[in-house]
Amino acid sequence: MHELSLTREIVSIACNAASGQRVHMISVEVGKLSCVSPDALAFCFDVVAQGTLAEGARLNIRRTNGDELHVVTLEVEEAV
Amino acid sequence: MCGHCGCGQPEMEHEHVHADGTRHSHHHDHEHRTTVIALNTRILAKNDALAARNRAWFAGREILAINLVSAPGAGKTTLLERTIRDLDGQTNIGVLEGDQATTLDSDRVRAAGASVVQVNTGTGCHLEADQVARGLNELRPPTRSIVMIENVGNLVCPAMFDLGERAKVVLLSVTEGDDKPLKYPHMFRAASLMLLNKVDLLPHVDFDVQRALACAREVNPDMSVLRLSARTGEGMTAWYEWLQREAKAASEAAFI
Repeated sequence: MHELSLTREIVSIACNAASGQRVHMISVEVGKLSCVSPDALAFCFDVVAQGTLAEGARLNIRRTNGDELHVVTLEVEEAV
Repeated sequence: MCGHCGCGQPEMEHEHVHADGTRHSHHHDHEHRTTVIALNTRILAKNDALAARNRAWFAGREILAINLVSAPGAGKTTLLERTIRDLDGQTNIGVLEGDQATTLDSDRVRAAGASVVQVNTGTGCHLEADQVARGLNELRPPTRSIVMIENVGNLVCPAMFDLGERAKVVLLSVTEGDDKPLKYPHMFRAASLMLLNKVDLLPHVDFDVQRALACAREVNPDMSVLRLSARTGEGMTAWYEWLQREAKAASEAAFI
């Protein structure tokens, strides 16, 4: 279950970049050769995100053909 | 009605008075305005940065660092015990022992004569670069020594976490299936050397060495393979020669 460590990293990268704003969606790229199961990431995500700025956010996983493993974009609520 | 505060006013800018007399105004433009931030951050960026730091730390001290990986029970600790005893007086070996729990392995390695630090991962199924950095802080290996990082027994997760090692060495024992390299390709692809261990048991098990070698070659044509038995000592000399070559290369690489 290395996906648990990876999900923690995804949430940590997102929350750092969000600088205090609520996170609505995190888009990640997971390559088919990356040794990572998208289902396991999705499974861990809600639990890991609890109590963070990304709680309730959507994790959008795009499958790619290489060994990519990136947080591509972040959708955050604009500061009012 | 206003969905924001349930005040019954239409959904637009308005003002209302609370029971305690507080005047309160709303700007109800109510769209959840969002901004998209482009990141393109590698998920493993933090681990890889720490691994690079460990690698530089090793290089500066001319230390050969080996990340020893295998399924549980393949013989990593027995290999270390014999290696430490056989190289006693020639090579200083320090060990970082990764396990989910207990100090059983570090006790064995210490009894063999090496300095050892146990890193318990708790629920973790693999070692990460920051755990190795903390372990090194405690181990304090001397210059030109060898640091053996015995990873958690697991053929999946440790494959993707760089610890800063010079090479991953994977053990495959003949009591496992000869098709293991095909079933766990990521690990065998990440390794520089495969040690086929427990060859003394070959007469007693249905393990086809040629098939195992073919499977290993199929996923990683560049990987070297040595056959040995850490229990009987058979084939260990070639492993020690490999270690000495790598130690020399690690030492020379420090000055490029």
